[in-house]
Amino acid sequence: MAILIDKSTRVLIQGITGNVGNFQTKVMKDYGTQIVAGITPGKGGTTTHGIPVYNFVAEAVADHKIDAAFGFVPGRFTKDAAFEVLEAGIPFVVITTESVPSKDMIQIIHFAAQKGARVIGPDTAGVISPGKSKLGVHPNRMFMEGNVGVISKSGALSYEVGKNLTENGVGQSTVVGIGGGPFWGLTQTAVLKMFEEDPETKAVVMLGEVGGTMELEAAEYIKHHVTKPVVALIVGRHAPEGAQMGHAGAIIEGNVGTAASKIRALEEAGVRIAYRPAEIPQIIKSLGVL
Amino acid sequence: MRLLEFQAKQLFGEYGIPIPRGILITSVDDASRAEAPAVLKAQVIVGGRGKAGGIRLVRTAEEVINGVQDLLQMSIKGYPISALLAEEPIQIKHEYYLSVLYDKKTNAPMIMASAAGGVDIEQVSRENPEKIIRSNIDSFIGLQKYTPRYMAAKLGIGDMDGFIDIVGKLYDILLECDATLVEINPLVETEHGLLALDAKIVLDDRAEFRHEERFARIRQEQRDLNKKPKTEAERLANERNITYVPLEGNIAMIADGAGTGMLTLDLIQDEGGGAANFCEMGGLANTQIMFDAMEVVLANPKAKVLLITLIGGLTRMDEIAEGIAQYIRVHGRMVPMVVRMCGTQEEVGRATLHDIGIEPFEDLVKTVQAAVSLARTV
Repeated sequence: MAILIDKSTRVLIQGITGNVGNFQTKVMKDYGTQIVAGITPGKGGTTTHGIPVYNFVAEAVADHKIDAAFGFVPGRFTKDAAFEVLEAGIPFVVITTESVPSKDMIQIIHFAAQKGARVIGPDTAGVISPGKSKLGVHPNRMFMEGNVGVISKSGALSYEVGKNLTENGVGQSTVVGIGGGPFWGLTQTAVLKMFEEDPETKAVVMLGEVGGTMELEAAEYIKHHVTKPVVALIVGRHAPEGAQMGHAGAIIEGNVGTAASKIRALEEAGVRIAYRPAEIPQIIKSLGVL
Repeated sequence: MRLLEFQAKQLFGEYGIPIPRGILITSVDDASRAEAPAVLKAQVIVGGRGKAGGIRLVRTAEEVINGVQDLLQMSIKGYPISALLAEEPIQIKHEYYLSVLYDKKTNAPMIMASAAGGVDIEQVSRENPEKIIRSNIDSFIGLQKYTPRYMAAKLGIGDMDGFIDIVGKLYDILLECDATLVEINPLVETEHGLLALDAKIVLDDRAEFRHEERFARIRQEQRDLNKKPKTEAERLANERNITYVPLEGNIAMIADGAGTGMLTLDLIQDEGGGAANFCEMGGLANTQIMFDAMEVVLANPKAKVLLITLIGGLTRMDEIAEGIAQYIRVHGRMVPMVVRMCGTQEEVGRATLHDIGIEPFEDLVKTVQAAVSLARTV
């Protein structure tokens, strides 16, 4: 087991013939991800890397059972692409696009809730259940199968931590990139709940950052509902107030969203705090839960 | 993008939201166009201008001219005042707060209102949270009249129809203009009904493709008025669309992700160094973006060492190494350089760097330590 995706997950790729989409499709397929169909309007009837390409999602779902959709779609088309897969009944959608307008993202999250579907993103590197399946753009060698669940707002930071865990022999059950905001499909709290319920996951690593209050809500949830050990790394301790630190959601507004406030709340909830990636495998090993 | 007050009020005017009569003044020569008495309001992009002396009531023609002269020589929080809005003074019976925005907790549009208007709403939220009424709107059903009607009743607003009308128009602006915040603080009750005494609008930069003309016009107006001196690095960053935050230290930094960028910044400070900036290239960078980012951060004269931390997923290290090599071919080695490189296509990337005499690190902390110790010696 793992959360969100495993070996049996059948995947649809939107934007499968674009440069980046096509390259990453091959990488995912080679990793073992079951990619059963792709979408590029106008290229229906062709194949790429042995995967059939369709014009419309409705045609793809008529031919295949599909569990998840992964999109390489520019911001201006993201809402349309996401609505199309949600309308077709696909229950899990990964939105990698960085520049989705807030209004569109709000509507995507709302429509997904109506359809009982899960969305992660926007601005996410995706999800990887190491050794099983990958719906993302993670460098393969930085991850290995195991029992630590990882939740991250940042793609590159999850690679950094994955690399440190893997090189120290600590494998991961699933690594979930929830994205850089400013609005989120799955939140840290929603993913914490999944890891808590996943028998394969023995400990959780949460990688957070400055801006907003999501980590405070996660701390509150951990305090009352999470029995598994949680280790957190919060970046942006030296970020200046009022500056946008790359991610749309990473901005300290007044005294809201500081790293210090998040670290304090997480510590009070019993979370172990790491200040650099290399400390994370050491802390996890010291917990004796693996 | 945050609009200046007069730009936000122009948009209010287009939507038929009542605003005071006013004119824009950009020079002392313009001052004669303002009728006394008037309220002169500095057009700056930062909050708290009232407390900083940026709003002045002037009663006579002479006071108008003196006020304009004074204000146009002032700065607020580093922003020189280059334009004033001169408005008719309004007899205020009561001040309210009203805004529409997207609520991060519920992922839905939200109406926020309070009878405690005219003051910092975040302060009200901290000290008297019960004085703020919030109401979420279903994105698909949209705003129905009962929501503002209920709010008006709770706030004790006499002009209920006027309030319902204004809330509806703010909601229209949120959706039709792709705003992320539309705020009136204060919304004032007068003899003749409700009026937006102030206006704040933030437009969603990610939706610019739907409003290219409006964005271009607003940006041009702000460029003409907002003469806060920009550094060469800031100007370049703007032009090349590179994320760049200037800081006080001497280690220029570039990362290929926001999270690792913030981590790099934290590590620099933890190791006793000082970052000259924060710069990250997003999750999908390439040769050109790498080249541009180097030009931006090294345009800062404070930069004495360059630290580049890379861990590529979507971003390919072969392309990034080519960007670094191109920069050195064009500009030479401006400052000592420390590079950490791993991830997608790293073998090719590392070989490219090796050929130009850079031996990339693998360990992040060791890379940062190397940069910090170099920065001590320069």
